[in-house]
Amino acid sequence: MKVLVAVPALNEGAVLAQVLESLATVHPLADVVVVDDGSSDATAVIARAAGATVISHAINLGVGAAMGTAFKYAARSGYDAVVQFDGDGQHRPEHIAELVAALDEADVVIGSRYAKSGGYKSSAARRGVQRLIARVASAYARTRLTDATSGFRIAGPRALAVFAQYYPVEWLGDTVESIVLATRQGLRVRELPVGMNERVGGVPSQSVFRATLYTGRILFILGLASIRSVPPQVRGSRRPDGAKEAA
Amino acid sequence: MTPQILAIVMAVVLLLAVIVLLRSYVLPEKYAVIWILAAIAAIVLSAWPGLLAAVSAFFGISSPINLLFVGGFFVVLLLLMQVTLELARTRDELRRAVQKIALEQQEQSRSDD
Repeated sequence: MKVLVAVPALNEGAVLAQVLESLATVHPLADVVVVDDGSSDATAVIARAAGATVISHAINLGVGAAMGTAFKYAARSGYDAVVQFDGDGQHRPEHIAELVAALDEADVVIGSRYAKSGGYKSSAARRGVQRLIARVASAYARTRLTDATSGFRIAGPRALAVFAQYYPVEWLGDTVESIVLATRQGLRVRELPVGMNERVGGVPSQSVFRATLYTGRILFILGLASIRSVPPQVRGSRRPDGAKEAA
Repeated sequence: MTPQILAIVMAVVLLLAVIVLLRSYVLPEKYAVIWILAAIAAIVLSAWPGLLAAVSAFFGISSPINLLFVGGFFVVLLLLMQVTLELARTRDELRRAVQKIALEQQEQSRSDD
């Protein structure tokens, strides 16, 4: 199976070289694409110097659009699966092989930092929020998902065919909505316990107000995804489950 | 038939239109919230005219319909402001994208020589 590792990166110049170096120990950098999402720093130069393929967005379009570009690139270049791997050093390369192996029984495998107890330390409020989101997302995906917003995941051949045509671009939509989209296309979504590093860049939402907004937004996205029909880009393609078309 | 029924029907049609547009991926999630809120506010106000009268009395407006006009006008102005800001941002992004493509094409043609 030809696997592409896609690294969506926005101004990750400070840590990207180190991340790519650790990636290189488990995966050839020739099969790593860094999608530079309109960075204003040297992200693209660093990635190219390290030996990775670089695709640069002219302007910042968000993680969802960056992954959308990566899926289109993967489909055009004949890859069978795409691993999403963050450029901030949060994800551990040693789990990539486990994600690939898990494709035997699923089309989308999500690396969860909560599936294993003690794998990741976070505040009580954050855990509560995550638990609520996990419960709703699990109901939609009809499987146990404890970390729906995790950006460490793999899409197998059938998922790649769908995501190359349409991938949610809204904030949080790329992680949460894509699960609903995959499920509705008849794809099997599973999770895999992984360890994650403390994130180096970016500030996670900590205050109660922001956590509430964040939760509300995810629940809204999930509710919206459930009333939505199939995206027009995907509608024309062959449906794996042969489900009925919306009128 | 009271005019109230007409108002409720119009408000419900607005909400249904928003839902249909959302469903078909025409209206993005980002703008959906404000339209859903506007539609629900329209339904509540038309189904419960007493609310408008009570709020008008609180603000000392003698004719409740004036509150509706002022409030509705204000909401429309806010929506217009949002659209203007989005347009400005989109134009800025378009300009930057075209500039970047132009610079990269120039770089490429120089390296071809």
